[in-house]
Parts: sequence; C-alpha cells; structure tokens
Amino acid sequence: MFQVARSPAALFRLLTPRGGVLVEAVRGRKSRNDPKAKSKVDRVKLPPPIDPEEMVVLKERYREYDLIVRALRAEFREEVMRRRYEEQVGSRAEERAKREAEEHRALMEWNDRENLRLRQLREVRVQKQVEEEAKRRAEEILLHEERRQCVLKEKEQEILQLQEDVKTFITPENLEQRIEEALDNPKNYNFAIDKEGRVVKRTVLP
Amino acid sequence: MDAAQFVMPRYELTLILKAMQRPETVATLKRTVETLMERGAVVRALESLGERALPYKISKHNVRHTRGGYFLIDFYSSAKILPTLLDHLKRDVDVVRPTLLRTDKEMGSAPYCFPEPPKNKDTLPRRR
Repeated sequence: MFQVARSPAALFRLLTPRGGVLVEAVRGRKSRNDPKAKSKVDRVKLPPPIDPEEMVVLKERYREYDLIVRALRAEFREEVMRRRYEEQVGSRAEERAKREAEEHRALMEWNDRENLRLRQLREVRVQKQVEEEAKRRAEEILLHEERRQCVLKEKEQEILQLQEDVKTFITPENLEQRIEEALDNPKNYNFAIDKEGRVVKRTVLP
Repeated sequence: MDAAQFVMPRYELTLILKAMQRPETVATLKRTVETLMERGAVVRALESLGERALPYKISKHNVRHTRGGYFLIDFYSSAKILPTLLDHLKRDVDVVRPTLLRTDKEMGSAPYCFPEPPKNKDTLPRRR
C-alpha cells in the first residue's frame, strides 16, 4: 500500500515519523486485511439501474447486428477458401500448370541452345589457346637450345685459348730462363689519365 | 657436384723481395717457384716490376727495408695449399711481404659510396 516516493509528484506527509519519510498516494491504499472505514461501514453497493424496455430493445438490436455481421464474415471467409481451393485444385489450376510447363519447356530449350552456342565458342577459343601454348613452348625450347649452343661455343673457345696458353707456362726446365727474362724486362703498370681519356705511361720509378 | 672439388682458381702472388744482388734474387725466385710447383700449382707467368723504393719502410725479420724488388707470379692452384704456402713465405728471410690475390672471378659492380650531404644546422641545440 505504501510506496516510497522517488518523484515529488503527489507527495504529502502522512503519519510522518521523525525520520521524515515521504509517501505517495496510490490507488487501492487499503490492502486486503485492512478494516472498512467507519464512514463506509453501512454502504451497500448496488449495480447500476437498468430500464427493462430499453434493455429488451437493445438486446434485440444487438442480436440482429451480431447475426448480420457474423453472416458477412462467414461469407467472406467462404469466398477466400473457395478461391484458394480453385488456385490449388481447380480448372484454373490445370490451365496454369499447363502454361507453366509450356514456359518451362521453352526456357529449357533456350538454355540448351545458349549452351550449345557458348560451347562452340569455347571450343574454338580453347583450341586457339592450346595451339598458341604449343607454339610458345616450341619457341622457348628453340631459344633455350640456341643459348645452350652459344654457351658451349664460348666454353670451347675458352678451352682452346687455354690450350694455346699452356705453351707459355713455366716448367721446371725453362724456369731459370724465365727468371732471367723477367729480371731483364721489368714491367711498369703505372699510368696517368685525364678527363678526356688520354693515357700517359711515362711514370719513372724512384 | 663432383666437378667443384677439382677447381683450380687463378691466383696472383705479389712478392716483395729484399734488395739483393742478382744471383741471390734468382735463387730466391727459383726457390719460391719450386715450392709452388711442389705443392701442385701450375705457374703461368713470372713478371718483374723492377727494384724500387718501398712506399714506406718495412721491418721484417729484424731488418729495416727501404728498397725492394717487386715480382708477380700468376698461377693456378687448389685453395687448400694457400695457408701453408703463405706461412712458408712469411718465414722466408728474403721475402719482405707476400700478397696473394684471386684473379679469375669478375667483381660485380659495387654500389657507389657517396659522402653524406651536410646536415642543416637550423634546429636549436638541445637543452641539456
């Protein structure tokens, strides 16, 4: 019955203890077991008065109205159900099924034709790609082979060069002769160069 | 691959010998080349750059050298003999400085090193 107030709306102090707790007025202040108020002890609660004739007329009118409305509702419901039934199982349903089957067949035919057309295009394209691939690979192989041949030739050249050089190498027999030769011809690798690229080789050793 | 084990790269030995009389130089060179050949090297050529003043005085085997004879020996050999060879040459009294270089591989173009551009001194010095 008593609720502690959080908002100041409809506040008034009732039986405030010294703590000063505020309570709100709420409907149905009295709970079940509270005794009746002294002013209301002899009160007899009566239902509202009704006029019998008015009541009869009202009842009759309500009955008719209700009848009509229920009939209308039933009519509408029946129509809806009939339409639904026709949709699914009826003369219209058959025509519709036939039309749909026809459409389906036509679409499938169109699909097959499209597939065929695309397939031909694809085959042509794939063929071309395969040929190109084969050609490219052949070219690649040729190039590779050429390069290998080049490398081999270079190596052969090097080997021949080396074989020629072997004749100039130092052996134990011509060691002393070579030493004498080297001492007699001192070499000078020093040179000077300027910005124009002219090389000058007249460095004198100290 | 098996071929890699039998590779003989080409090396160049720059020998700075003590400034000696001709017969002694001949003997030293002969000694050196024979050492090389003993260890299985194939000597390609022997060049002399003459007897000249060293760029700076070199002290070796308790002797201070001012002049020396420069000799180049290029040879092919296995890489395994090189440490022992260098060791041997370092111990030789007549050899002032032996230098070994590899000559067969081409060096790739190294990236250039430019000096850094000078930094702007706009900012205030840091307050310590």
